[in-house]
Amino acid sequence: MDFSVLTDQFASLTFDGIALGFIYVLIALGYTMVYGVLRLINFANSEVFMLGSFATILVSTKIFNYTIESDSITGFKLVYTMLAMLLGSMIVSGLVSVLIEIVAYRRLRSRTSNRLTSLISAIGVSIVLAESVRIATSSAPMGAPRLLDKAILATVWGADIRIDTLLVIIFAIMLLITLDLFVNKSRLGKGIRAVSMDYDTSRLMGININKVISTTFLIGGLGTGAAAFFYITVYEMTRFSIGFELGLAAFTAAVLGGIGNIRGAFAGGIALGLIEMYSSAVFGTQWKSITAFVILVLVLLFKPNGIFGESLQQARV
Amino acid sequence: MLNFNLRDWGAGLWEKANKWQRNVFALAVIAGVFALPLLEKTFFNTPSTPFVMILFYPIGIYVVMALGLNVVVGKSGMLDLGYVAFYAVGAYTAGILGTRTSLNIWEILPIGIAFAMLSGAILGASVLRLRGDYLAIVTLGFGEIIRITALNSSAIGGANGITNIPNPPTTFGLKFDLDNQVHFYWAILIMIIILIVAIRILSVRRPGRAWESIRQDEDVAELMGVNTYKYKMWAFVFGAAVGGAAGVLFASKAMFISPNMFTYNTSILVLAFVVFGGMGNIWGVILGATLLAYLPERIRFISDARLLIFGLVLIIMMNLRPDGLLPRKKREKIGTKKAVKL
Amino acid sequence: MSNDVVLELRNLTMQFGGVKALSEVNLKVNKGEICALIGPNGAGKTTVFNVVTGVYAPTKGEVIFNGVSLKGKNKHKITKIGIARTFQNVRLFGEMTALENIMTATDVHNKSGLIGSMFTLPRSRREEKASLSKAHEILEFIGIGHRADQLAKNLPYGDQRRLEIARALGTSPQIVLLDEPAAGFNPFEKEELGALIVRIRDRGYTVLLIEHDMSLIMGISDRVAVLDFGEKIADDLPSLVQNNPKVIEAYLGVPADES
Repeated sequence: MDFSVLTDQFASLTFDGIALGFIYVLIALGYTMVYGVLRLINFANSEVFMLGSFATILVSTKIFNYTIESDSITGFKLVYTMLAMLLGSMIVSGLVSVLIEIVAYRRLRSRTSNRLTSLISAIGVSIVLAESVRIATSSAPMGAPRLLDKAILATVWGADIRIDTLLVIIFAIMLLITLDLFVNKSRLGKGIRAVSMDYDTSRLMGININKVISTTFLIGGLGTGAAAFFYITVYEMTRFSIGFELGLAAFTAAVLGGIGNIRGAFAGGIALGLIEMYSSAVFGTQWKSITAFVILVLVLLFKPNGIFGESLQQARV
Repeated sequence: MLNFNLRDWGAGLWEKANKWQRNVFALAVIAGVFALPLLEKTFFNTPSTPFVMILFYPIGIYVVMALGLNVVVGKSGMLDLGYVAFYAVGAYTAGILGTRTSLNIWEILPIGIAFAMLSGAILGASVLRLRGDYLAIVTLGFGEIIRITALNSSAIGGANGITNIPNPPTTFGLKFDLDNQVHFYWAILIMIIILIVAIRILSVRRPGRAWESIRQDEDVAELMGVNTYKYKMWAFVFGAAVGGAAGVLFASKAMFISPNMFTYNTSILVLAFVVFGGMGNIWGVILGATLLAYLPERIRFISDARLLIFGLVLIIMMNLRPDGLLPRKKREKIGTKKAVKL
Repeated sequence: MSNDVVLELRNLTMQFGGVKALSEVNLKVNKGEICALIGPNGAGKTTVFNVVTGVYAPTKGEVIFNGVSLKGKNKHKITKIGIARTFQNVRLFGEMTALENIMTATDVHNKSGLIGSMFTLPRSRREEKASLSKAHEILEFIGIGHRADQLAKNLPYGDQRRLEIARALGTSPQIVLLDEPAAGFNPFEKEELGALIVRIRDRGYTVLLIEHDMSLIMGISDRVAVLDFGEKIADDLPSLVQNNPKVIEAYLGVPADES
């Protein structure tokens, strides 16, 4: 355990932790919103992220023909290229997410099948997607061209504010505000909230359940796709197994904040991003991946409602 | 879809038979199973690895693990996605004690089982207040914690694992080494037979009833006086013991273990066996595990896509035939009196 | 019927967020009594059952059983102590036989656990035999002995409801809480059920009964307590409760003399 790294680079770690946190927030939304309406853990959301990350890279390499060795670009070219990459990953992730619902979950909704069945189906989807990509890429990672010159804009309290991490934070905040507005002000958003509060009554009130659920999956997918774009911007690399690694962390973030609760996803994501950064400074990066698991176990043991969420333990009689 | 009920057909035959016929049948089956290595000379032979080795691993080992996981998932209804952890604990116990002490594998076996049961108890204590999906995720995390801890602990080999784990000593005149693979297979067969008997007994008595009631309606079970915490814990601990036993045997045959042999994928594999075969049904699970473990070895070209196919199996089975190959559904004629006598 | 109080609710209050489901409810159930709990829908009757059986911890007040407070006790402990119940919607273990449903309940007083069962130790064998014969006996008593080996989910509705009662009796309780046991029955079946409940009481059990059918209640109850909006508004002999103006108002919404 080495606390010196933590204290020396506290500001840096905090800044990077917040950026990582926002990525987690966006992925966590995919879990928390689906849980809100279906009371189901959308296991396959991790692969939605993974596919989005590949899509983002492929947009820049196949459509714009950049390579890893390309120089960075600037100005208008940079803006529209990055927008295209962002849209690419959001569209792919959104579509995959909606498809997953139709293929793996929809049938099981109408049956009197139990939760175990849906969960196992979700796991199956996750496996199929990850393995397909593994076989297609022969397990090789895929690198992203560095289009954005990672200049340091300023140094605040010893932390280097890089432009890419700053962009992540700014865009993530914008996305989240948009989402919050949508869920609270729009008609479809109201529908989503109604279904997550009371599924049966919502149906009786004439809410189009399929539409609401598909929209939920779509939004979750779009958010996750955006997260993939941000992730690639900062970390510049992906591989087939990335979904598993990050997905579990993001799910932990959702639970930490209170599953089913959108504001909770925000709190949980940022918190987890910070905790992971700090603990890898103290314990070493090889333990980073189980930080999330340990937190998950602790949260579920001692504060299962998370920071804002519902109780996971209500008996039903 | 697939309305023919294999189970009911078989059970119908069994019911019509008298005690003599049943015993003869059972003995014939047991003898046949012990003699399976003879199939090497036939169509069933596996091209790249000796058939008798396949019978031990993956088939035998996975059947054992599937039986263990079945108690947790199939009978009690708890989705454990980190089952590989217990397998790893057993294997590493064998690895560490086998290479650093003078204990032989048969002496290490109960110790490995004990450690696995301890891990099962720890896991159980952590997750048992949770329901469904959360239990699943936390168990998954547990499995990963074990693997990553092993990976980062140079004291137990780190990424390089442990080598030179000893084979079991010569027992009852039977040697356990590379030239006598069939003895390993028989050892695991004996383990399987013991397991079948134990699980059958448990199923028709109080633990079986408790587990079933928990699976079907946990809240009501608790109100009918079932100590759900205790029995869920027992399911975990029992399943863990089985996984640990498999791990010990595996380590002593493979002679080398490393953390990347104990990944999430293995947990999913075993889950696929249970789901495919028929959750809750011992024979279904054995059949499912045997088929799914054997086929990729026989049909080599699907071997690399094995996990992909298992994922598809999970999706297809859950959507079309969630009861699995041999459904758990009870048949009505079997009286509890008969079952208690076994 | 003695004057020993088996079950007492003392100032029982149950609040869920902003909703007060029960408000200062006081009730005493005497040994050997058939006590009915009635009231309009949503009055809090099932909530009483849930609090008594330990599903909810009361916000205020307590439940006293044979002089001992049930505060903080686990659901299965409470069952072991002697309180059993049935449910508004039938909640049997559908994929188990009728016998097995009851045996799951009789197990509560058995001592053998996993080890004893797995190694078929003598105590486990004895307890199995005893549970089995007890379950058969209860099934006969309830009148569905012929259903012993049938799956609970395949039973006709009436037998399912009876099986639920049988299962509750399997725990050898002192008091049985029946939640709308006659729901969905035709008048003939209701009469049979009434006779069954009396037989149950005559065997020594105390019965606390939620029901909506007035003739059934009036016919067999020793006492009737009435809940409305979480408060007890009457607690008396059946004939007196029937004519109580507050009770009539609660059900019909209009004071009796203003029609």
